[in-house]
Formats: sequence, structure tokens, C-alpha cells
Amino acid sequence: MDLENQKRVKEIADQFGPENVIVVLGAAEGEAAGLAAETVTAGDPTYAGPLAGVSLGLLVYHICEPEIKEEVDAGIYDEQVSMMEMVLDVDDIIAEMTAIREQYTKY
Amino acid sequence: MNNSVLKGTGYVLVHVPGMLMHHGTTQTTERSVNPDSDYLKELPGHIRSYEDCLAYPPNQTYIGNLSIEALSAIEEPWFDKKVETPSRFGPFGEVMPEDEFAVLMQICDAFDLVHLDRGFVRNVKPKLEAHPLITASMHALIKEGQDSELIRKQVEREHAQPIIVGDQLVGYVKRAHDVDVNLSAHVIFENLVSKASEVLTILHLLKQSGLDPADVDYVIDCSEEACGDMNQRGGGNFAKAAAEIAGLLNATGSDTRAFCAGPAHAVVEAASLVKSGAFKNVIVAGGGCTAKLGMNGKDHVRKGLPILEDCLGGFAALISENDGINPEINLDIIGRHTVGTGSSPQAVIESLVTNPLTAAGMKITDVDKYSPEMQNPDITKPAGAGDVPEANYKMIAALGVKLGQLERAELPAFVKKHGLRGFAPTQGHIPSGVPYLGFARESMLAGRTENAMIIGKGSLFLGRMTNQFDGISFFMQKNTRKESPSAVAAPALITDLPVIGVAVPDSESGTEMIRSAVDSARKKGYQAFLIEGDDCLDRMEEMLKSGEIDAAVAAHYAFPVGVATVGRIQTPALGREMFLATTTGTSATDRTEAMVRNAIAGIIAAKTCGIAEPTVGIANVEGGRQCGRILQTLSEKGYSIRFAESERADGGVLMRGNDLLRGSADVMVMDTLTGNLMMKMLSAFTTGGGIESVGYGYGPGIGERYDKRILIVSRASGAAVIANAVDYAAQTVKGDLLTIARQEFIKANKAGLQTLIDEVKQRSQKAAVPKTAAPPKETCTEEIHGIEVTELDEAVEALWSEGIYAESGMGCTGPVLMLNHARIEQATRILRDQGYVR
Amino acid sequence: MAILEGKKAIIIGDRDGIPGPAIEACLQSAGAEVVFSSTECFV
Repeated sequence: MDLENQKRVKEIADQFGPENVIVVLGAAEGEAAGLAAETVTAGDPTYAGPLAGVSLGLLVYHICEPEIKEEVDAGIYDEQVSMMEMVLDVDDIIAEMTAIREQYTKY
Repeated sequence: MNNSVLKGTGYVLVHVPGMLMHHGTTQTTERSVNPDSDYLKELPGHIRSYEDCLAYPPNQTYIGNLSIEALSAIEEPWFDKKVETPSRFGPFGEVMPEDEFAVLMQICDAFDLVHLDRGFVRNVKPKLEAHPLITASMHALIKEGQDSELIRKQVEREHAQPIIVGDQLVGYVKRAHDVDVNLSAHVIFENLVSKASEVLTILHLLKQSGLDPADVDYVIDCSEEACGDMNQRGGGNFAKAAAEIAGLLNATGSDTRAFCAGPAHAVVEAASLVKSGAFKNVIVAGGGCTAKLGMNGKDHVRKGLPILEDCLGGFAALISENDGINPEINLDIIGRHTVGTGSSPQAVIESLVTNPLTAAGMKITDVDKYSPEMQNPDITKPAGAGDVPEANYKMIAALGVKLGQLERAELPAFVKKHGLRGFAPTQGHIPSGVPYLGFARESMLAGRTENAMIIGKGSLFLGRMTNQFDGISFFMQKNTRKESPSAVAAPALITDLPVIGVAVPDSESGTEMIRSAVDSARKKGYQAFLIEGDDCLDRMEEMLKSGEIDAAVAAHYAFPVGVATVGRIQTPALGREMFLATTTGTSATDRTEAMVRNAIAGIIAAKTCGIAEPTVGIANVEGGRQCGRILQTLSEKGYSIRFAESERADGGVLMRGNDLLRGSADVMVMDTLTGNLMMKMLSAFTTGGGIESVGYGYGPGIGERYDKRILIVSRASGAAVIANAVDYAAQTVKGDLLTIARQEFIKANKAGLQTLIDEVKQRSQKAAVPKTAAPPKETCTEEIHGIEVTELDEAVEALWSEGIYAESGMGCTGPVLMLNHARIEQATRILRDQGYVR
Repeated sequence: MAILEGKKAIIIGDRDGIPGPAIEACLQSAGAEVVFSSTECFV
């Protein structure tokens, strides 16, 4: 994840308390989604940015996961995301995200 | 109003492992944040050699040596695959190594900011001098260089940016101002890299399009760098800076910026400038970017791959007035992402693809090929960005499903049929839509593809000025001028009734005979007229240039080397039509190369006259067997040739005298002098060797980059032959000789024509002739005859080395050397002294 | 229990997946407060 984005995630978690924060991703594939999710939970796996060695354990989802889709206004979801659902490998994304959440999310 | 056309493209890669290690932002950031990281330690082990980079299949595709179809047939991933016979140069450009590029950067530096090591320059300068496109005026800019000690000091103490080639410090770029960060060594380095790679790409574009540099009116740079100082940080202008080095003396230009969408915006601008009539020839060009080198290096290293982002990319396109041949940029179909579009992927695709198509009454399936962002999936997949072009095709198809233009089950088939595999380096603006322009142009010229949509997209939000996304798309289509007579008044007329000028000075039968020949052609329905006077050949050339005549029949006319004529006769007794390739001119100075090129010229002439698959036979003369072998290989490699069979008992592709008389092949291939002999015998046998009374004359001059329709008759050609020559000339217009010629040479080159010829040449030329630079050009009005064709180029260089400007050419009696009239005496003396003439 | 309602949401969109502003529109409709939205670009 971009170093600037890591910095902002850390600041926001400190400011509002990690239990009040949710991270929502739009990554194009499972592996990239998994890496980003790992960064905001267990810490930056590439040890490059401000989240290296910092385990925030934030709640993290991909926008295409059913839990999120269910809560979003259907019309808006259709307009903004539905086409990409046909393009992305949603099953792979769900599998990656679920694995990370089960392992690292604290909230 | 006429749409503009895409007249040529240039694509260049520069393999720069030194810059990757020392200037790519992923590496420089890591070095400052985490200097002891494992990544930096492992990095050197993942750097590719030049040879590996060259043989990497997507790179050979980028420069046009490997078709997209052939690349797609190679199983992915590609990083561990190699092209069997990779070539540095391709139809679109080249892959330049880092050492030569360092010197090119120095050439492009106008402010004494780049300094190279003395020994390094000594080693590399000859390589640039041998480069086919780097001009003499560019060679003159190469400086001697500095001592290595001074270079080390500049880098260690004076904030200079190092130039590193193969682990050696070979030079530096120094800062242009002590305080202004916009002129820091880092920024100057990046900008000079962009400029130098842009220059190289423009040189390739010029070569490919055959355009005279002086005819370029405007250049639009579409890279992603900014040049300026602290008071005008993005002042510009890369376009003009590059145009200066490339020698575009009559051009001005400006920079267009839109992140990765820049090139697509720039092409729309260029097409508009040409269509409006403001300019005739506009070049769009973008150089490469050091910052993005190794951008995804960490992922590549982590997955054990070589670092694939080790090349700078360059792109250029020439947009010109409609020539009735090249594919058009149709400005009626432009997709645009507007401020109000929003950033949801479907809104983006709607704005760029379906909205403009719907407005034009088209469906997504009406577009043959889409070229969105053409990033090489080998690079992006391991980095978590997926297969970018494929995702774009799926988005277009998915939107088609939503719009009811496509069934959901048809989605994969749509992607396969209308999509392309990505092959471009991740150099930001370079992969965005435009990498396909070169292949699209070839494919449309060959009639394989009707149209294509080019889609540029850009991430404006990275600049922190707006959260807006951006994009623009344009539509390319086969040239439509002939099919729409309403487009312009003239072309319809030209197609139906070509206007032929006849210029035959000093006919042995007198002007009256020529006049009656022209009259007889008119009676047959041709628009022919006589061009008279001593300067008739000059006026003929002017008329061809202005379009007053479509083709010309001429005698005593000298073609440049590289052009030879294909005669057309009827065989005695059987009356079979046969093409003699070739009869005057010189298609090449090497005998075997000339015969191979003659064969292609013969095929072109036969196809122009309506023979779809002409049979080709090779006269049994010296070099015939070798020529036959090369043609056979060419045919096996994709330039399909239908070979004739000798009608003698033992058969074979080699034609004997009997076959010539019988007309056993549609195209008879031979050296030009033999062809000339045969032409005269087969045309004058009825008059016992008097005037030439049968056949169509010596035919049109055909060459790889030749763009005129001039047909040759001799001073002994009689009225019937000249009337037939008018008929043959009209056929070159109606049958579209120039397009067929271009297509045939493109096909032959794709099958490896140049490589095959080079192999033969290497064998025949034991020692290479040292190159002498030409002195300033002078008007050439005089000719010197009697030089052996194999020595013609040497004779030209012999005069050059004495400061006399001369050009080689081919008269109808043999090779000629052309020069200024004031030089004739001195030149004749030199040539006599050196044994070139008696 | 709702996941999004009342939460402070951080959005890390992707230029080649779902970009930030598109996710933003979705989350707002579900009652989350978007405190940071960004779009990454790998190409």
C-alpha cells in the first residue's frame, strides 16, 4: 500500500480509535486485496511504510463482499459497482478477505 | 471535410538497468527510507541482460517484429520465454542499449549539463555513428568527455546525478541551478531522458513514413514530465526541444498533459489541426520516464521474477492530410470523460465507449478491435493490478450486456474477438491506447481490419488538484475516400478516368508519332495528353506532385536507386501476358538483393493489373538460384508466393529461354540488364529490331518507399507501345499500385525480407566500405554516365570525401551519378583518376 | 448488526478495480462517515 495512505490509516485509527474504524477496499484482484487487508490488520508485509510492524487489527472489507453490498443502497450499488462485479473474480476476493479477517482483525 | 490519416508510427524501447537501479522511484524511495532492505540487496540478481530484454516476446511485439497474434500464441507468463531470432530493429523502431542512450542524452543536452567519461565516449561514439538514423549533425554534437576523477567528484560533492552503465560510473547530469529544485540534477536527468527517447522515436517515425523532416509543421509532446524553472514550473516545451534535435526545421509545437490519457488527447488535437487545414503534417510524440522504472520491482523480486520494468518507452505518430490510402481518424466519433461523468467504472466506460458509438448509430460489436490500456500482463499481474487490457474488455462487454447488445454468455467470446493481449511497458502514458496504432494501421492497410477504437485513460487524482478521473477515445477506420464520392470532387473522377501525362523527349520516331500515340490512347477512352518541350520531365514531376496528372509515361527518366520498372509484354505466338521484373532502374546495388526485390516488384505489378495470385518464375541467370532460395524462405515465413514450373521436361522454378517465349510464368524475375534486353527483343522482334511495336513498355517504377506512378518507354518505342503504356499507366491508378506496393512490402518485411537480404549481403560484401558523410546538398542537374553499378555508391562517396555533393541514380542506359553543373569538370577528373570512369 | 452504520470509513480504492469515489457513494448510502478516500494506481 502507498506510504502516504498507510500514514493516513494510522493517524485515523489513533484519532477515532481502531474499534470505530472500517477500511473498505476496491482492489482489482484477490491477492492485492489480501495484501492491503493484511497491511491494515497485521501490518505492512513489505516492511516499507509507517504500518510496518504495527498491527492495527482494523475491520476490513472489499466493496464487492456480500456483507457490504447488503447494506448499500441497491440503486447506487448497481450504478457504481455492479458492472465491475462481472469483471472481477469476486469469489477469490471474498476468500482472501475472509482469511485475513479471521486471522488478524481484532474488532 | 476530409478526415486526417495516420501516416506512420514510431515505437522505441531503451534498455536501462542502470537507471532502473539509480533513478526509479521505487528504488530511490527504498534507498532513503530503508537503505539496508532485503529488496535492495536482492535487486541486482533480478536485472536482465540486454539480450534477454531484447528476446522478451512483448518487447519484440512493441517494435513490430512479433505480431500481437503471435505473441498471444505464446503461453503466459512470458518472462521465461524467448523469441528465437530477436532483432534490435523492427518495422516500428528499436530496442536501444543503455550505453548508446547515454551518448544520445549528451547529444540532446543543449546546456552543457551532461558529461561523459572520455574513454566511454571513445568506445561508444562509433556505435552511434553506425546507427542508421542518428544524423551527421547529431554526431557533430558528441563531446570528447571528461576524466573519470572529475566525474566522481561531481557526483560525490556537487549533487550531480550519476549515469551508470553496466555498474560503471560513466558520466553525470549536473544541476542547472544551485537553489531552484525545478532545475535540480534529478529533474534535468528525467527531462533529458524524456527528450532523448522522444527524439529517437521521432527519427524512427520519419524513416518509416518516408516524410521529409522539413515537411513537419507541428509537434505535440504527450509525455508526463514537466520542464521549467521556479517561476514557471511546467513552462515547456519538450515538443520543440525534441523537434530541434530531430531536424524538423519548419516545425513548432507544444506540450499536452493529461497523465496516461495524454497521447489520446494529443492524437485528437493533431487530427483536428490537420482536418481544420491549419497544418498538413503533425507529429504526436512522447518519450520515456525514469521514475516508473522498476515501479513494481518489489513484487517481481518477491515472486522470483526478473525486474520486467527495465525499459524506457517512446511513442510517436504522424497525422497527415487525407491521402486516400492510410487509415483515417474519424472525428465524428470521440468518447470523452466529462466533469459530470463521475468515476464509477461503468460511467467511465459508458462515456468513452458506448455513448460515442450509440451517437454514431453503432453497437459495441461493430468495432473490430478495441485498444484500451495495453499494459503487459506479465508486469501487472504479479503486482496485483491484474490483466489491465483484459479487465477493460470485460468492462466493455459487461456494459454491452447491461445495454442488451450482448448476451452474458457471449462475454468471453467478445473479449477474445474484439480484444488484444497487452504488450506495452508500464511507462504511464506509453501503454494508454496508442501502442496498437502501428499494428492497426498495417492491418487496415492490408484490409484485415475495418476499424478500431483507441481509448486513453488517466488518473488525474494523482496530481492532487482534483479527484477527477479522465479519458478520451477516438475512432480509426480504413480510408473511406474512394467509397464516398461526395467527400471531394476530384477523387471520384480520378478513379474513373485517370489523367495520364506523356513526356517522351528525343523520340527516335519524332514528336508526331508520340502525338498519334496519345490520340490513339484517347480514342480508347483515356484522358491522356502530351507534355512537350525540353523541360517536359521537370514539368511532368511538378504535375504529378500537384495532382494535375495521376500517372505519367516517360522516356529518359532517372529513378533513384531502390526503384526499378516492371515491363509488360505479350509473348510471341501464344500471346500470353507476362511481366518482366525488372527492365530499367536499380532495385538494389547488390545483385541478389536486386533480384529478390525485382520479384516483389513483379508481383506488385501483376496484382495491380488484376492477377490475384501471379505465378513467379526466375530466369536462369547468374544469381537466379540464390534468389530462388530466398524467395522460397520468404514464402515459408509468411510472404506467400505461387511459384511457376518450367515447361521443360525437368521442370523447376528456374526459367529457361523457352519458358520466356512460352510465357510459363506471369512474373519473370531477372536482373535489370537482362530484363532490359528481353524487353527490347520481345518488343522489337516483329520489326526486325527496328522500333518497338508490341507490348506495354518498360512499366512503372516500383520501390519500397517510392510514391509516384511513372512508367517508362524507350526512345525506340513505337506508337502502339506508347498507347499501351497509357493503358498500363491507367491501370496503376485504378488498380491502386501504391497501396498494393506498400502492402506487399509490409508483408515481405514481416516475413523477414531485410534479414534474409542482410545475410546474403554479409556474404557478398567481404569488407564494409567506410562511411563518408555527405557535404551540404547542392542542386543536381548534370549526370555522369559509365560507372559500374556495383561501384556507384563508392564513386558517390569518393566525390563526397573531396567535398563534392553527388547522388546516385539510374538512367535508362545504366547507372548515373548526378551532381551540380559547376562541379562536373572537377568530378570527372576525380572519378577518372580513381578509375571509376574512363 | 450493521457493519457500516456510524463507522468512520477509510476507502482505499483502485484505479483498475473500484475507484475511491464510487465506493464513497456506496458507503454514504449505508450511513458510514467517510473520513478518508484514496485511489491507488499500479500502472
